[in-house]
Amino acid sequence: MIRLENIRRSFISDDVETTALAGINLHVASGEFLAIMGPSGCGKSTLLNTLGTVDRPTAGHYWFGDRDLAALDEARLARFRAEMLGFVFQSFNLIDELTIEENIELGLVYRKDRHRDGRGDRKTRVAEAMDRVGISHRARHFPHQLSGGQQQRAAIARAVVGDPRLILADEPTGNLDTENGTQVMDILTSLNAEGATIVMVTHSPSHADYAARRIDMLDGSIVASVSRAI
Amino acid sequence: MNRFALLTLYRSLTRHRLYALLNIGGLALGLAVFLVLGLYVRFETSYEKWLPHHQQIYLVQTDWHMENSPFNGAYPNTMGGLLDELKQDFPSLTGTRIEPVPFTVIRNGIGVSEDGARVDSDFSKVFDLQMVQGSLASALAAPANVLIDETVAQKYFGATNPVGQTMTLRVNGEQGSYRVAGVFKTLPKATDLVFSILVPLPPHANEDNWHHWGSTSLYTYLRFATPAAAHTFEAKLDDFADRHGKADIGEHASKTLQLRLLPIARRHLTPAGMQAASAKQTVVTLGIVGTLALLIAIVNYINLATARAGLRAREVAMRKVLGASRAVLVRQFIGEAILMAAIAGLISLAMAELGLPLVNAAGGLSLAIPYSLAVPALAVLVVLVGIGAGFYPAVLLSRFPAASVLSSSRAPGGGQAGSRAREILVIFQFALAIAFVIGTLVLGAQIAHVRNADLGFKRDGLIIVRSLAETESQRGKLMTAFEKLPMIRSVTLGGSNAGGSGNNNADNVPLPGQPGPGPSLRWISVGKAFFSTYGAHLIAGRVFDDEHGSDDSTHRGRNDTRNIVINRQAVAVLGFASPQAAVGQIVGKGNPRKIIGVIDDMRFFSPRVPMDATYYLYSPRTQGFAVATLRYSGDLRTAMAAVKRVWQQIAPEIPFDAASADQRLDELYKADDNAAHLFTIGAVLAVLIGCVGLWGLASFNTARRIKEIGIRKTLGASSFDVVKLLVRQFLRPVLIANLFAWPLAWLALRRWLAGFDDAITLSPLYFLAATMLALLIAVLTVITQSLRAARTAPAWALRHE
Repeated sequence: MIRLENIRRSFISDDVETTALAGINLHVASGEFLAIMGPSGCGKSTLLNTLGTVDRPTAGHYWFGDRDLAALDEARLARFRAEMLGFVFQSFNLIDELTIEENIELGLVYRKDRHRDGRGDRKTRVAEAMDRVGISHRARHFPHQLSGGQQQRAAIARAVVGDPRLILADEPTGNLDTENGTQVMDILTSLNAEGATIVMVTHSPSHADYAARRIDMLDGSIVASVSRAI
Repeated sequence: MNRFALLTLYRSLTRHRLYALLNIGGLALGLAVFLVLGLYVRFETSYEKWLPHHQQIYLVQTDWHMENSPFNGAYPNTMGGLLDELKQDFPSLTGTRIEPVPFTVIRNGIGVSEDGARVDSDFSKVFDLQMVQGSLASALAAPANVLIDETVAQKYFGATNPVGQTMTLRVNGEQGSYRVAGVFKTLPKATDLVFSILVPLPPHANEDNWHHWGSTSLYTYLRFATPAAAHTFEAKLDDFADRHGKADIGEHASKTLQLRLLPIARRHLTPAGMQAASAKQTVVTLGIVGTLALLIAIVNYINLATARAGLRAREVAMRKVLGASRAVLVRQFIGEAILMAAIAGLISLAMAELGLPLVNAAGGLSLAIPYSLAVPALAVLVVLVGIGAGFYPAVLLSRFPAASVLSSSRAPGGGQAGSRAREILVIFQFALAIAFVIGTLVLGAQIAHVRNADLGFKRDGLIIVRSLAETESQRGKLMTAFEKLPMIRSVTLGGSNAGGSGNNNADNVPLPGQPGPGPSLRWISVGKAFFSTYGAHLIAGRVFDDEHGSDDSTHRGRNDTRNIVINRQAVAVLGFASPQAAVGQIVGKGNPRKIIGVIDDMRFFSPRVPMDATYYLYSPRTQGFAVATLRYSGDLRTAMAAVKRVWQQIAPEIPFDAASADQRLDELYKADDNAAHLFTIGAVLAVLIGCVGLWGLASFNTARRIKEIGIRKTLGASSFDVVKLLVRQFLRPVLIANLFAWPLAWLALRRWLAGFDDAITLSPLYFLAATMLALLIAVLTVITQSLRAARTAPAWALRHE
């Protein structure tokens, strides 16, 4: 489903060029659960952001199906994200001013097809997504009224409410205790079992073990790719 | 804006109430100042625009270009017979004259003064006044007809139909019976056409000065189909003046006296004659103040919105991740700004409505909000302000890189975004604020200077009686009766009096041994005890007295030497080395005048009119004088009541018109006083809006630096060090702002002061004081938050995000 060809990303500041991605070649199959590991600063998050099209590569090709995303303009990329991707972050990134239900519904409002969905349909989808992550009883609460684990479950609900083809998770358990971390991983695993493609960045080897394949990065390159024995 | 954007905005405003208050409140205040001063500018620029076909009506100006004359300039009035002479040469011309003369309505032997004018029968061809009853054209055809406005009709006839009724009027001293032939709608406030009664202009052909070129007695208006026609006609006026003015003015009369056409709508703001352009300057200045106050409020919005941008970075990034494009986000943020501006707009209407009575009182105005016009105008303004204020924050916010914002656990942007732009905007705000403060100080100082300046006479204890014009037969009796009143110390008559009442006369005084007509001097005819009543300062020689029979100039022929007293200005103008040197000298060649004394300049006129070189002639009789001056002791009200009682006993049919010299002089200062009040209100509010913004900005910046403060304190910084750090951050832009404020204020104020004959000097102290005040305001604005931040426990601060 995804093919990265020689993706490079470098940052230039004060005449110093820092290479975050040094020619990444990667293939992610549809329905795959991929974990990315590596020390801080190795380029994991940059790779994930590139996959999420919130960061543009300096060079290389990013094929999503048969489309080269590197060639799309900003507005088309925004549409692509709205329709194809779901994001989960370490720090949840819920909007403080919106309730949990509204935060999750926000996952649908920027979709091009939103006008076809009546608000009733949207409400149903939001309710289903909340049910899926067990957060329905907190629908009317604001993010700051929830625990970290609940916030992350809400963030996952927001990521999946639009039935994305790819879920990108950036250290989704990084801010959670063990119990909440396990709950989040269980949800991701069941989403994957239902057919979702997931790419997850993590520092935790045990959480990486939930994935079918793990790649290790160092200094902007993939240094190992290990598939879990089934 | 979608529902979520609205919800986010609403909840953000209710959660951050202070921010909402500062931003919407500041914007509302800015809009209110703009609205009120806009109303003022609209009123001042709307004069005569209510007249149908006002674009076709032109006022004929008499523009004097005399050598060394104090009276040069374009006056709005002309000689009485000008229109007759114009029609001889241009028979198809459409025009009318308006001659404002004293009008008294007499009922039961008591006279009541009214604003009235005599007009040509062609008046209706130029001025299409709206009639309530009767026809304008036919009403002016019969000489004994009178037209009154609704107010006068109501006042004298109440519910009775006024048309056909008789009124006894004293018009310019002549009493007669008039039949009310029509009622016109009372003229609106925005007009210089001051009349509520109109009667037909009688034939004047035989009167003195009616055809004397150089005299000015009434207003002549002409109507042309197009501006081009008016322009073509105006081009012919120089030749016309040369042909007709030759006898009175000499060859090439148009070089001395030019006739010009002024569109009637421009009359109000065009300075008349020697006046400085104060009215126009005031309107422009206050328009600028209103616009700048709004601009400062917009700057506040931009500052606060960009300062808060860091707090919203995560929201922006998340919306981007969820598929919002930059265009969508820009639209959202501009939409927010328009919404905030709309709320501010509503509040500003309420503020303007509440503030208008105060502004009207301070500015001597009677403004009201015309809602049918103000609401749509405000709606347009709200959209413009919203776009103006929202655009930069929208672009800045929508530019946040989603990837780095979302992967960082720190408050993204951290308020750094646009910090340079914010500093520039604070400099801009404070430059204006400091310039406003300097302006307020200088305006106040100049107004106080004008009020307290030595006018060359004792201004308190004087009553000026202006209603003497129509009392030819009773004048002597009145003066004797005034003199007998116990509180009256002395009485006098003068051709020109404190507050500008009386006549303007000037003539050239040829100097011995020098060619040419000599300098032009103002001359004032004065009665008995004029200088002693006014308390003039004698510098050299003596003033007039009856013991010197030769002082009386009444019956002297043109070639006889007349004794004159001159003022200090005249000493230099006439070329004498000192006042003492002037005494005893004879000037004026064929019309010789002997200088018997020199007095200090007596300023009777507006402080904006240059002090003229003047000479005084003595006439101990009462003829020819229209104004009396009385010096009283004790309480003004008692003295005024006694004077009025005497008046009503001797001349009950003539309305009594008197005021103290202070009151008369106040009228000369009123325009500047009012302008200064309005400027001060606008300036103080503009500074306040700036402070609101600075306070908001300081609170965000302080919050942003809490962690830094924690680190500094951990490293040993004292609370004082922290306060110093935070306050200094704001003093820098305020200090830089002075670099712009000082020259700006200097240029503007130098121009304003140039309009005064006796202006204060632009001392650097005003500038320093304004700077100190701005620094003080800035420190007071940020100090509370800095102190609170400085006192926070380092451990808490370090955990703070």
